[in-house]
Parts: sequence; C-alpha cells; structure tokens
Amino acid sequence: MNSISRRSFLELSAKLCALMGLGAGAIPRMAEAAEELASGNAPVLWLQGQSCSGCSISLLDADAIGPAQLLTRYINLTFHQTLSATTGHQAVETVNKVIGGGGYILVVEGAVPAGMPEACTFGGERFGDQLLRAGRAAKAVVAVGSCASFGGIPGAENNPTGAISSAQYLKNQGVSTPAILIPGCPCHPDWLLGTLTHVLKLGIPPLDELGRPKAFFSRLMHDQCPRFADYEREKFARTFGEEGCLFKLGCLGAITRTDCAMRHWNGGVNSCIRAGAPCTGCGSEQFAAKASLPFITKKRAAQNQA
Amino acid sequence: MSPVRCSGASRRSWRGAIRWIAQHITQRICGVCPVEHRMASVLAQEMAYQLTPPPNGVLARNLIQAANFIMSHISHFYLLSGLDFVDVAMIADYKGSDPALSALQGWVKGQLASHAVIPAAPFLPRYAAKYLQDADANFAALRHYLDALEMRALAHRIGAIFAGKLPHAATLVPGGITEKVTALKISEYRSGLETLRRFIDNAYLPDVAAVAKAFPEYFKIGKGCGNFMAYGVFPISAGSDAKLLPSGVLLDGKLQPLNEGAITEDVARSRYSSASGRRPAEGETVADANKSGAYSWLKAPRYNGQVMEVGALARVLVAYQDGQNVAIKNAVDALLKSLGREPGDLNSVMGRHAARALECKFIADQCAQWLEAMTPDGVAFKDFSVPESGRGYGLTEAARGALGHWIDISGAKIRNYQCVVPTTWNCSPRDDRGVPGAMEQSLVGLAVADAENPIEAARVIRSFDPCLACAVH
Repeated sequence: MNSISRRSFLELSAKLCALMGLGAGAIPRMAEAAEELASGNAPVLWLQGQSCSGCSISLLDADAIGPAQLLTRYINLTFHQTLSATTGHQAVETVNKVIGGGGYILVVEGAVPAGMPEACTFGGERFGDQLLRAGRAAKAVVAVGSCASFGGIPGAENNPTGAISSAQYLKNQGVSTPAILIPGCPCHPDWLLGTLTHVLKLGIPPLDELGRPKAFFSRLMHDQCPRFADYEREKFARTFGEEGCLFKLGCLGAITRTDCAMRHWNGGVNSCIRAGAPCTGCGSEQFAAKASLPFITKKRAAQNQA
Repeated sequence: MSPVRCSGASRRSWRGAIRWIAQHITQRICGVCPVEHRMASVLAQEMAYQLTPPPNGVLARNLIQAANFIMSHISHFYLLSGLDFVDVAMIADYKGSDPALSALQGWVKGQLASHAVIPAAPFLPRYAAKYLQDADANFAALRHYLDALEMRALAHRIGAIFAGKLPHAATLVPGGITEKVTALKISEYRSGLETLRRFIDNAYLPDVAAVAKAFPEYFKIGKGCGNFMAYGVFPISAGSDAKLLPSGVLLDGKLQPLNEGAITEDVARSRYSSASGRRPAEGETVADANKSGAYSWLKAPRYNGQVMEVGALARVLVAYQDGQNVAIKNAVDALLKSLGREPGDLNSVMGRHAARALECKFIADQCAQWLEAMTPDGVAFKDFSVPESGRGYGLTEAARGALGHWIDISGAKIRNYQCVVPTTWNCSPRDDRGVPGAMEQSLVGLAVADAENPIEAARVIRSFDPCLACAVH
C-alpha cells in the first residue's frame, strides 16, 4: 500500500459518501474502510450461482470509482469466477482456502436451483452446498442483483429448476450471517460499492423491511421520474419515441423502489426512462416473480381492428 | 474456463406469457452479450410481425451492438485471457516511471508482504508456466490491462447513449429503438469512439502481435474442427441486406451460403429427455438431470449434421473467403505477412486472438460511418401490433459467435421459443453419432507439459471465448 497516499483514499471516500448520501463527517471513516478493504484485512469472496454475470459486468462499469482502482485499492477480491487468473483445481482450492479463513464479506450473484441441485455445480460441488459453507463462515452476505436477492428470472413462477434466491436459501437453511439485498438487473455499481464500504466501517447500513439499503431503495422510481410532470398533466406517450409519461406503455416505475431516475447508469449518461423505455421493475421484488407480471404491454392486432 | 456448470434462466419461465416480454427476458440469458440476445429476439419478432425499422433505428442498433462487441473483445483479451500470457509477477522488477505501473507495483509488493489470505488476488494465484518474457512488451501489456478496464467501461458508456443502460439494454425493440437520435448523442458517441479506436490501434493490436510473436507455437495448438459458420452481422447501411461481416459456412475450406433449415440440435449426451435432432423452430427442452450417459447441460447443435466452430475467427474467415470486403481481406493478409504465417495457421489459439483484434478494429472504424449516416431528430421507431399468429427467427452474431432465436406465436402468445447460442456450438457435447464438439476436438491430443499446471488447456479453451451462462440458458 506504500505507493497509495492517504489523500487518494480521502478523495475516493468523499465520492463514496456522496454516493451513499452521507455527510462529510463520515469521510474519514469511509477512507479507513477503503484502506482496510484494499489491504486485505477485509477480503471479499464473490460466488456465482444461476446468474448471467451481468452484475459482475455492471460492477466493472463503475464510474465514481474506476475499475482499476476498484480492483487494486478498494476490494481485496480473493476470488471471482470471471476476473481471477486462477483456474481449474487451483480455483477450487483458492475458494476453499478463503472459506477456511472466514471473516470475509461474501458477495453472491445468482439464484440457487433448490429443486434441481445438479443444475449448478462448482468443481463438482453443488452450488447450494458451496453457498452454505461460504455463508456460514462469512462476516456478512451481500446478495447482489435480483436473482440473488429475490430469485429474478431463474426463480420465475413455474421455473424448472426450483430456483430460489441465494438470500432465501441461506435463510431457509438457518444461516444467521447478516444479509443485505441489493437487487437490480443488473445491480448498479454504486449500490454495491456504497454498501460494501459502509458494511466495513460503519456497520450494516439502515435496511428496509426486505433487507435493502434504504439509501438506494427507499423511494419509488415514479416519485423521482423525469416524466413525473407529464404524468401530473395526464400527458401519456401512446407509442415509443413520443413525449410523455410511459405509464400506458407498461412502465413499472410506480411499484419499483430504486433511485435510477436520479442516479442514472454508465457514468450518468442515460437510464431506461430517460431513453424512452418503460421501467421493467428490474429492481423490484416482484420482477419476473409471476408469469402474469407485465413487463411492457402491447396491443394485439386483433384488438386494433376491433 | 472456470470449473462451473450452470443452468441459467429457464426457457420455460416465459413460455405462454401474454405480455410483450421476449426481448427483456432473453437478453438476460447473458450479462456479457445481452445486446446480442436482445437483437436476436427483436429480429425474430420483426420477421414474425413483418416489420421493417426506420434507418435511424437500424443504425442506432448497430452502434449499440458494436459498442458491446468492442467491450467484449477488449475484456476477453486483457481480462479473461491476458493473464494466461502476461506476467503479472514481473511487476516486482519494474523500474520505470509510469504512475499506474508504479502504483500496481506498490500494491503487489504490499499484498505479498501482508497477511492477506489470497495475496494480490485476483491476479494471483495462477498456474506455474512460461509467461511473456520480453520486459518491455510485458510492462506495456500490463499497463494496457489497467487501461482496458477503463476502455471496456467507456465502450459500455457510449453504447448506453442509445441503449439506455448496459449491461441489459432498455431501448432495443421490434421496430427500432425507443431512444431519440439527436446531434448531441451522435457527438457524444463519436467522442468516446475516437478514444476507443486509439486504444485498439495503439494498444490492443500491438499487444496481440507481441503475444503472437512470443508464443509462435500457439499457431499450431488448439486446432478446431476445421468447419466454420457465421450468421453475419451489422447491416452496412439501413435497408441493405449486405453485412459488414457476411454470413456463410466454410466446409472443407469451401464457402457455402448459410441455410437456416440445416440447423438441428442433438441431445443424446445432454441432460434433456426431449426429442433429439429437432430443428430449433420445433425444438423442445425438458430437463433430465440424471439422464444416463449425459455429461452436459448443453445441447449439441449441428449444421447438416456437421460440427461447426463459431466466433470471431469464423466471421473473419468467412469474410476473407467471401472477398467482397476488400479491407478485411487486405488486413488479414497484412497481419499474416507481418507474423510470417499462412492462412491455415489461423485455425489455432493465436489465430482466434488475432481475428478478434482485427475484427474489433473493423467494427470500430465502421461505427464512424454509421454515425455519419444517422439523421438527427429523425424517427427511430416504427409502431406495430402483435399478430394472432406468426413465426420468425433472428440470426445475428455475439462477440463469441453465431446466435439465433426462434419464435412461434399463436393466439398472440408465445407458443414456443428456442435459442441456439455461440458456446452451445463450440462447447457442445458429443452428438447422436458420437462426434464431439469443436472445443472438445481441439483438446484431443493436446500436449500438457505439467499435469499440475495445465496452462495449455486453459489457453485453448479460453481462445474460444466461451460463455457457459449463454450456452446453457
């Protein structure tokens, strides 16, 4: 750590505090948290189950803290299926060594095929079993993304693998390690980075009744929507590309608690609603939960003719 | 390839859905190539709806897909396979003045002296093997590894200008895109694109050449099945059937036009009890986790019963044989000459890396022309209604190869939906006749110097840029 100055940690921590909506008084403690993460005192173990790797890709799209800084200063990422150089039997040994040491933050991406355990394995071990071992020895569990938090698409109604969220699986098995859910499909990198640093120095952040950090998930998308004024004036878009509120095109902003409309994505360049696309509720606990849950409505040709 | 087998989102979970969701669900098969899955779904629906998007819609979708290709190729070379060749440990000997490398050196030394449970992760541990030995080339590649992290995020950032967000795009729909095309958005994209083009020209291509020169034996290692297939991707202009990277099938070195009807999927050795040998449009997917003799969650797609390799190498070889894009042919010839190689050497580990880098440049260069062709403030979406019945397929390319979605609509609902994806082709198990897939063939007879450190196998497998989340879906 000798070449990284205290000043640079303070700068990065100020950004993090801004992300979390914390006051300036928290900056020194966040800087300590960042140093601790980077020095290896607080290792992070990242496991993937029934996932698409989208939350990992999203983390690498982080902007407030660049990805190179992230890997070498912010997170002592002991293992990650996509990013680690290690492979084969050595990868299995690495994971087991981390679990054996305990005291890490477990980040889990993806769901567990509870009804068909063979559907997801790591080095021959069922993912559910691996998750149990890793969850029990962890200091805290962070379920990243909608699959790990609520089941997401693998856990959709009538899914053939009996998939449930990793968070629910650990709960069902009686694992008492504190768990934080950060849904989203994918999870926004700010949500994850803000939460990780908070866990480390300030403890578990304030959570809502579902276990989500209030800093990011307390307000309805609809209340912060850039098209809210259109809604108030009952100016509704009838088709894509039109001005107006997207509600009649199936927008789920009114049932979705995320701050996308304020935070935006990919370094703030855009977000779904700003780009004319109705919110699909990807951060909602209801996302893909029921086969009947609408994503986007579209008229049938037969109805048009009627 | 991590030792992982996963069953991702189920096909069955959306079958029979009554809302308009196919592109939202299917793009989430993969967080690395969501744009391409979404495009395949959109193209399949456009065929079923008999819908043609306006030029701005076609061009914007090209630009989104191109940004994701660039993100994926840069990520693959540096993040996913670079550490199989580049020597991270050499950073301890660095004596230069580059601030980023000095910081990396300080971090690695600090890590190795610490009590960290896995010091210098995720870069270590790794297999003991011969890595890049030329210090200048190695430090340049390491510096570019750090830059690549920023560049791949930048590629997603410019993609999101039209996609809304990435990964898991929001705007691509049958009929075009929901986002507006404005002069400001065009300028923003162009600005980021120029930075990416400089990185591709000044870092990515030279680093691939340096690795190719340092590991010449890998032009003879990792030979695949020898058959190549591309579905084609990127309409050169709106309303044109011509693709920047054309479709075609290379059987025994001879180019044939692609026939969608020749694609079938076997399941003899796959963990499915459903019928084998079906065309995707009539395909079934019924899981049987404990099926006797099965060893994979992948089906075994075949073309006229033949094993095919798909990916950047397949696209470049098809374009090379096709010959209509003279720039691609000349670039391949120039690269082969500079490396002292024959066209036949491309069927190898290093050939796959080289083809990917060359293709990345073609695509990035072409983006500038698509930006020019856009009409600011012009329409980018054509409205449609979902028909009572219809069938369609969408054939496109993901970074890692040929990607197809098949949709069958009945009563304005999805009756059947099947996807045949790149890694299912490359990583397929044995088919009904017992013939192994492309990756399995490339491993047969591979010499491994040290069984405890089988770096050769890792290099061969990773040269295909496999994605198992995609492959199982």
